[in-house]
Amino acid sequence: MGDLVRLKIDGQEIAVPATKEAYDPLFKKHVTIPTTIYDAAVALAQKSGQPNPIPILCHREHINPVAVCRVCSVEVKMGGVPGRVLAPACYRPVENKMEVETAQTNERVKTTVRCVTQLLLSDHPSGEMPSHEGDNELDVIARRYDIHGSPYPRAKEKRAHDNSSVVIAVDHNACILCDRCIRACNEIRDNQVLGRMGKGYKAQIAFDLNNPMGDSTCVACGECAVSCPTGALLHRKEVEADPWQNVSPRPGPVRADELSGHPLFEGVSVPFLRWNEGSVVRRQFKKGDVICREGEFGSTAFLIEKGKVKVFLQSPRAHVQSRDGWKGLFGLIQKFTSGLVSRSRNGQKDEKQPRYIHIDAPVALELNNPIAMMSEGDIFGEMTCMNHYPRSATVVADEDCTVLEMLRNVLYILQRNKKSRAWLDQRYRDRSINNHLRGVPLFADVLEDEEEFQRFVNYLRLRVELRRLTPGEVLFRQDDPADNFYMVRVGFIKVSQRRPGGEQILRYIGPGGYFGEIGILSRLPELAGKVPAGVRTATCAALDHVDLVVVKPGVFVALNEHFPKLRQHFLSIAEEHLRRDQENKADVDGVALGDFLQQGLMNAQSLLVLDLEKCTRCDECTKACADSHDGVTRLIREGLRFDKWLVASSCRSCLDPYCMVGCPVGSIRRKDSREIHIEDWCIGCGKCAQNCPYGNINMHGFDETISDPLNPGRKIAVVQQKATVCDLCESLDGQPSCVYACPHDAAHRMAGKELMEQVGAHN
Amino acid sequence: MIVQELVAIQDRCGYLPDEELRALARRISVPLHRIHEVASFYPLYRLNPGSSVTVRVCRDMACHLRGAARLKGVLQALANEIGPDQVCVEGVSCLGQCDSAPSAVSINDHVYWGVSEDELKKRMHAAAAKETLPHQHGNRDPLGWKIDPYDGKPRYEAVQKFMEKRDADGILKSIEVAGLRGMGGAGFPTFRKWSFVRGTPGDVKYVVCNADESEPGTFKDRELLRRTPHLVIEGMLLAGLVTGAKHGYLYIRHEYHDELEAFEDALEDARSRNVIGDNILGSGLTFKLDIFVSPGGYIQGEESALLEAMEDRRGEPRNKPPFPVTHGLYNKPTVINNVETLAWVPSIIIHGGEWYKNGGTNGATNGATNGATGMRFVSISGDVKKPGVYEVPLGQTVRDLIFNCAGGMHGGQKLKAIATSGPSGGFLPTFIPADKLPPKFAKEKLAQGAKGLDILDLPLDFNTVGAMGGMLGAAFVVYGDRAKMLEQALNCVEFYRNESCGKCVPCRVGSQKLVDIMDGMLQGQMKREALPIVSELGQTMTLASICGLGQVAANPMLTLMKYFPEEI
Repeated sequence: MGDLVRLKIDGQEIAVPATKEAYDPLFKKHVTIPTTIYDAAVALAQKSGQPNPIPILCHREHINPVAVCRVCSVEVKMGGVPGRVLAPACYRPVENKMEVETAQTNERVKTTVRCVTQLLLSDHPSGEMPSHEGDNELDVIARRYDIHGSPYPRAKEKRAHDNSSVVIAVDHNACILCDRCIRACNEIRDNQVLGRMGKGYKAQIAFDLNNPMGDSTCVACGECAVSCPTGALLHRKEVEADPWQNVSPRPGPVRADELSGHPLFEGVSVPFLRWNEGSVVRRQFKKGDVICREGEFGSTAFLIEKGKVKVFLQSPRAHVQSRDGWKGLFGLIQKFTSGLVSRSRNGQKDEKQPRYIHIDAPVALELNNPIAMMSEGDIFGEMTCMNHYPRSATVVADEDCTVLEMLRNVLYILQRNKKSRAWLDQRYRDRSINNHLRGVPLFADVLEDEEEFQRFVNYLRLRVELRRLTPGEVLFRQDDPADNFYMVRVGFIKVSQRRPGGEQILRYIGPGGYFGEIGILSRLPELAGKVPAGVRTATCAALDHVDLVVVKPGVFVALNEHFPKLRQHFLSIAEEHLRRDQENKADVDGVALGDFLQQGLMNAQSLLVLDLEKCTRCDECTKACADSHDGVTRLIREGLRFDKWLVASSCRSCLDPYCMVGCPVGSIRRKDSREIHIEDWCIGCGKCAQNCPYGNINMHGFDETISDPLNPGRKIAVVQQKATVCDLCESLDGQPSCVYACPHDAAHRMAGKELMEQVGAHN
Repeated sequence: MIVQELVAIQDRCGYLPDEELRALARRISVPLHRIHEVASFYPLYRLNPGSSVTVRVCRDMACHLRGAARLKGVLQALANEIGPDQVCVEGVSCLGQCDSAPSAVSINDHVYWGVSEDELKKRMHAAAAKETLPHQHGNRDPLGWKIDPYDGKPRYEAVQKFMEKRDADGILKSIEVAGLRGMGGAGFPTFRKWSFVRGTPGDVKYVVCNADESEPGTFKDRELLRRTPHLVIEGMLLAGLVTGAKHGYLYIRHEYHDELEAFEDALEDARSRNVIGDNILGSGLTFKLDIFVSPGGYIQGEESALLEAMEDRRGEPRNKPPFPVTHGLYNKPTVINNVETLAWVPSIIIHGGEWYKNGGTNGATNGATNGATGMRFVSISGDVKKPGVYEVPLGQTVRDLIFNCAGGMHGGQKLKAIATSGPSGGFLPTFIPADKLPPKFAKEKLAQGAKGLDILDLPLDFNTVGAMGGMLGAAFVVYGDRAKMLEQALNCVEFYRNESCGKCVPCRVGSQKLVDIMDGMLQGQMKREALPIVSELGQTMTLASICGLGQVAANPMLTLMKYFPEEI
């Protein structure tokens, strides 16, 4: 290791090799680098048995030095002459005849080391943090130099906490920018996620493009938290309460060593599993025990270890909507009655009615018999776990069974781990694809012949690719070259288009949905000229954690050749989409968007607007609404005012129906027309009511008698929560009942644009 | 590549959208954090769309002294009128237009100087109406400076002279005899730097001209770049020929758009004369020259931070040693010189080293080769009648500089303080009592029986100012008696706080704490009892910061405590 260099540290002589081996992360190889003063001090300490007189904070022996914290500052004298400034011992190479003085012997050095420590302490929230002996290296240095608190003023502004990662909690207040996590992430692990952002006092660590840690490309390896000397990156276990405290009987954790033997977990590092012991528990269920219930919120996912479970929708399959108007020959005033109308009585022709309901499990439920079985090796509840959506179905043990229940941090790392991912993907191909495709109405409706459908599934089984998007990730942009066709398994995709005045959201696509066919189909002569050739007509981005099934163009084209029925269907759908987009575009084009847009009104297609100059506050509109909707009004005569117009709280049929995002069973939807429907398989979780920014969706309890899914043939009485929303019910003159009922011609329905024109005209 | 790619995205989109950054990361195969750490570091880049009009008012030193805060208030009021969402008015670090203080303003990155308030308002309105803004141009005429042996005509005779004998050692000797030192502030002997690089083995070496003049009060390189760009080019070329470097870069601050244009024109001309490029003047020798426009920040003037920027990283200074002469750009031996240093080289080669050395005055010429010899350019600003750039002999007294060159004090004020190196050297009072001078200096330089030093008698050369505990830079800022020194010192420390790169703790945290303490004192919330803490902090910053910025950042406050205790 090169020649020996002789130097003195605090008067004691030591000889060390001039160079040492180190790992160069940039070129990924071992290189020879100079031995530093700190290395020499370590050698001296080993030799003499005395403690090392040089403290370190940003440096550790297994990483390359950056010399940013300066607590290792030492005085270097050459020929008895001190340097102009101090030198960082972790970085400065040793030289012959160097005389080094540390804080033990040199007052200048001691003052400096103390001052640097005090500077760091002045902003560090030491006292407020969960403490573990030896955890906080800054405090250890402070104790060593007998420093209690800091004479410097505390930071005026608090910095952010980032709790988006399910594995690690970030507290930027505790960060001293020592760069250890960054080197851990990029050099030790080569994960390349962490960096520094900003400049000067405002600088801080950042993940990717300063994304929340949980939304970044972080693979949650935990190396950064291990490296952090000051508790800025802490494992969540140290900051969070026991997640299983409400589960009775309290489940026992599954040991890391045992877990690592399972094919799903074998790719995950054992230290991670050990660290997260308690995040996976084993639960035993007796036949008939409920494992999870539809509509409930949760933060876990399940893996069936042994036994069979039954999955079904408990809610009555009846829906909340007004009865069809009976348009009598003699124009008799019609009495509106309403209630939960069974499917069989629903006269509305709805071609798009799916035969299957998509749920958060590897099986889809048949609409007319929503019950299915799952068995060993199946994973369910992923969407609730990752995206905070309510449980989409009830799962009951069909025989005595064992289930592993896991927290988000474990599922999260499984989805990022290559081996686990491969195992999960394989499960999808082997078991779930059949059900998934069955739940896509596009295929299920067209390929009604079971044999043909199976041929279709088998064709796709090994030809599809599986892709995962992080929240906000853009899959493709408008005008990008069109390549793949996509189907959604988990999560929601936001589809938007550039329009004059900004980006307009066209729709959200959830589980069971598909997109991307238009761009590919444009090569077909039937669609030539109608869409720009081979380019995307809209931008698609992930709203949350999204799992996609990707069909490559070659496969897609071949598919269309093999299954001519599909081709026909695709064409009609594509034309339909184009027509609808064109209509929406016409609504928005050429309108100056200002405050109106901010109020969300421009988005509205059908506002209930009351002319306050005519309105006598008789409340006939509210009564009419209640009359036609089973006594529950869906409008409230209060809201925003523009000039003489009052925009009542009633569904606006937004262009961007955010209410549809996150419905665990896909029961809130828009059909061909603009009104929002809540279908009868609504499980009453309240997500849509929570989502509506205008408070226009309400939850109501309905008394119902339903057949008990667990005991066929028996009926039980329940109060069923259902979401209700204005459905633009049609009365005699084709107007909604609220408008029809107004005796003073004060109630009108208009689009946002019309209202704006009215307001403008009046001014 | 990242630096320029980001500029291209910003030119196209007006800011740096996440999607574009992701696309860039994919295209050039680097991790996202690499892109973001660069994009979030440099002041040129905008990570958010922000307002459509951005007005930036210089807030440092001379501008601060001459009423930048009031000007910013006036423009802010107008912005509120036009619409605060549409127009954003903010402070900006020194734009290098201190001679026009406080009228140094940029509107949507067009830098304006010496423009009246009314005209600025008109341009803000124009910008808000999305009209094209005018580009301001400075004068390029030669001023008869001694530095230019060609009187503005780019004749490149020094290179021709070199080509006759190819005597690199002879050139080094001339520069050594001349005693030419680094004019960026550090004053490192130029011949030693060049000799180091020449003596370091290696096929690939570089020459970098540091035209990132960003220290408050400094604007002399601006004039040299615009009026004598051919001298800078020739100086770089000679540095390359002497050291064996075949590639040179001009690293120029992006706010000097007019100077950038002048340099580009001169470079085009030099290429057409076959002075730059392959087979220079038929000699078979090669020297390529390219321009690197800085994405901004004072710290980039620190030579290793400048190299980091050129290598597409955050512009944070490197730990030294090693120095750039052996491990410079892309780890290759690199000459980094200031604009003025390089610009002096042609005339020294043509007229000889003695000629330059004899340009000094006040005893600076009596033979001390390591001493204060020769000439320099100084930027003078603040409370003087004729702020500007002057070519002066080293050793010139403060009196001569203020009262002869700069026309005396402005507005009938009396001299209160001077700063001889922008904010970095702190302030000197009009009279320094003998007991506050270093004993050696007092013994050697003060007349018998003198009670102290009249600052007007101080000869401005590197050794004398250094010996009395000061620093000699290119920025000479004059404070009249209306200046409140604590407030001025706070302004200087704020500059360092704003421009700290944040890499090392003493500077990153120390500069902020110093600002907090001084601000507390100014507001009357903190008392003199805090002064020992300030001394300790100042000493720590000086001793333990990685680079010159942190090492000098406390100087304004430390000199205030030393020379102006009554002002605290």
